[in-house]
Amino acid sequence: MKNINLTEDQKDCLQEIINVAMGQASDQLARYLDTFVHLKVPSIEQVDSQCIIGALNSEDDRVAVVSQGFFGYEGVRGEALLIYQPKDSDKLADLLGYEPGELSVEEQIIDLSSILTTTFLNVFASQIENQMSYSAPRLLSSNKGAISEHIEQQSFNWDLALKVKITYQVTDYSFNCDMVLLIPESAINNITDVLDRILASF
Amino acid sequence: MSSSILICDDSNLARKQVLRSLPDSLSTNVQLATNGQEALELLTSQSFDLLFLDLTMPILDGLGVLQGIKDNNINISVFVISADIQPEMQSKVLELGAKAFLQKPVKSEVLIAQLEQHGFL
Repeated sequence: MKNINLTEDQKDCLQEIINVAMGQASDQLARYLDTFVHLKVPSIEQVDSQCIIGALNSEDDRVAVVSQGFFGYEGVRGEALLIYQPKDSDKLADLLGYEPGELSVEEQIIDLSSILTTTFLNVFASQIENQMSYSAPRLLSSNKGAISEHIEQQSFNWDLALKVKITYQVTDYSFNCDMVLLIPESAINNITDVLDRILASF
Repeated sequence: MSSSILICDDSNLARKQVLRSLPDSLSTNVQLATNGQEALELLTSQSFDLLFLDLTMPILDGLGVLQGIKDNNINISVFVISADIQPEMQSKVLELGAKAFLQKPVKSEVLIAQLEQHGFL
């Protein structure tokens, strides 16, 4: 299997950039939900396009996923997935203080995902001296087949990607969602140039 | 005034950012820790004047370090430098005894202003 070869310093620099973006995204989420979001150290690993479906599915059988593509300059691009447990998405209406029927669960999930994804990616982009634009968020129906199919379409044009997984845990409501970013190898090459510039300034 | 300083962050880059932001008069006597547990071990075996502390870390996080400082009655000024900027987190660390909360990535002028405010410069 091929490797995305990040040096220890590059990996550390990327991790720190992700931490800062994650911190601001969770701050937005906390303000939106008027609660506190517990953060863990994010995981960064490389995935093969052939293994990605297994890697995502093994974590849970039934999930709700919102998918949003992002595009920056110089070929920086990727896919952000927000993954919810159905039991957690049912809690959202309570969390958001909506009356029954005011807004569908689907719309609530998409709202929440947009806040997390755009905040995270805008902060991430500004740190790597880039700017992101986004495709419309898509809610994937909560069955394994549909998600696999979507990921297969997305992964069609990459073999290898960096997978960043961040867990946002809303402690008051025991509500979790995972943000998974998939950044293809070709985009990583451009990001590492910026990481090297940041590292060279120290 | 010569102060002995400990910087605790799991990121090498973040430790360097803090180190580079320190004025020359403070940057001579600095030690580094890469997680909360390492920091607590150093704090219980040596005396420091000032700790720059990250929050989200493996093994033992920043809140754990603040609790450990309290439990062991360690006399030290703690400046938390974190990406987790939620208002509730900021008040939590101040309640646990931290002197200041600074947002990551730390800016030199902000750090220096805090050092002046707390009598380290």
